[in-house]
Amino acid sequence: MSATNVWTRSRERMRRFPELLAQCGSEAAAYGKCVSATTKSKQELQRDLCAAEFTALKRCFATAVKKGGK
Amino acid sequence: MNNAISKRLIGGGSCMCRRLYSTPTVRYPAAPQATPVRLSQGDAVADWSHFHNNNNGLLSLSQHVCAARMSHQKTFSSMAGGTMNVFDRNMKRKQKNWASMLPDTQKYDYLRDEVGRRVADRVYDIARTFPLALDVGCGRNHIAEHLSKDIVERLFLTDISENALKQKKESEIPSRCVLADEEFLPFRANTFDLVVSSMSLHWINDLPGAFRQIQQVLKPDGVFIGAMVGGETLYELRCSLQLAELEREGGFAPHVSPYTAVTDLGNLMGRAGFTMLTVDVDEIQVHYPGILEVMKDLQGMGESNCAWNRKSMLHRDTLLAAAAIYQEMYGQEDGSVPATFEILYMIGWKPHESQAKPARRGSGNVSFDELGKLTPPSSPARSKGQ
Repeated sequence: MSATNVWTRSRERMRRFPELLAQCGSEAAAYGKCVSATTKSKQELQRDLCAAEFTALKRCFATAVKKGGK
Repeated sequence: MNNAISKRLIGGGSCMCRRLYSTPTVRYPAAPQATPVRLSQGDAVADWSHFHNNNNGLLSLSQHVCAARMSHQKTFSSMAGGTMNVFDRNMKRKQKNWASMLPDTQKYDYLRDEVGRRVADRVYDIARTFPLALDVGCGRNHIAEHLSKDIVERLFLTDISENALKQKKESEIPSRCVLADEEFLPFRANTFDLVVSSMSLHWINDLPGAFRQIQQVLKPDGVFIGAMVGGETLYELRCSLQLAELEREGGFAPHVSPYTAVTDLGNLMGRAGFTMLTVDVDEIQVHYPGILEVMKDLQGMGESNCAWNRKSMLHRDTLLAAAAIYQEMYGQEDGSVPATFEILYMIGWKPHESQAKPARRGSGNVSFDELGKLTPPSSPARSKGQ
């Protein structure tokens, strides 16, 4: 076995990504709805159009990371 | 440089100047970060935005630019011949080498195995024995394991990745490996009776040239059977990454490479000198738990992005956003997300006098109007028997 290094650590973090995201299902859905709504309406997608939804999603994700902690 | 020529270009079509803007005059209306397909000249930017001849300011500027950039015009016009430089082939070799060194590399073979099986199926459709065949971009030998040695007697395998060739799966056909780039086939003309290729031609820069080479190494009346991804492949991944980057960063970079459209494939093969073309499309949809699994599997297949203008990193916010968008826009009821692969199959023959030719014009003696009245000779007998 190889020792832990920056690659194994970051891969380990990425491996946990799906389960962490699953904990924020409602926030992810809200953000996804906000962005995908622009593909159907006349509204053009711009930077930070869904900033509020994304902040909520990110906060939830960060909490999940902490909860899952090492 | 020659001022007369540059003036003529501006006065005449101005089509050259349109391509030869220097960067400051280029405006991107929609996507500030999007870089156009980069040609091999680093300093000349391909720009298709509107150019008005009556705008004097622009005109004088472009005249200046044209005069300064005349040296590039030759290369540009020769590029119209079809030599694009979109993909970093060296990077592709590294990716494939890396992927085939993974301890669980056979886990990522599912798509190649499936397409290889379908290509082999098309080989069986031809009632012939092929003494000598070539597999272009064989990977870990995904076609030959579905073929028998009664059909293909000897096989040459080529791939750009030496690790893939080392790890190739065994088959019953006596075969020999050659490490070669698909763009530069190291074989004598008129050598092979059959050339097959599966899931590798979509990373080729000069596709017309590659087809021409394949046509050359075929014997007359030899057949080429190929499969590559194209069309709308991975549109879910492409869309969600674009939307996420637009919303988070205000612009997007190409993450999924440009593909050949099925409508162009026939022309490409016709231009390379193939006859009796057959082109068809198959759609394979794979369901994954989420966006990360899609990307991980693509990486494991050695199918990571290797366009020259690729972005070297994906921001973690963008990744989170893309995962949410992918799930929301394409997610199924069971929580899985689909990834679509459109596989283009092509069959082409090298011309030979024994092949069926179209009948001489005017030689027909049945009108198309009567096609409905024609009955095959055996059908009345069969209906009587029932």
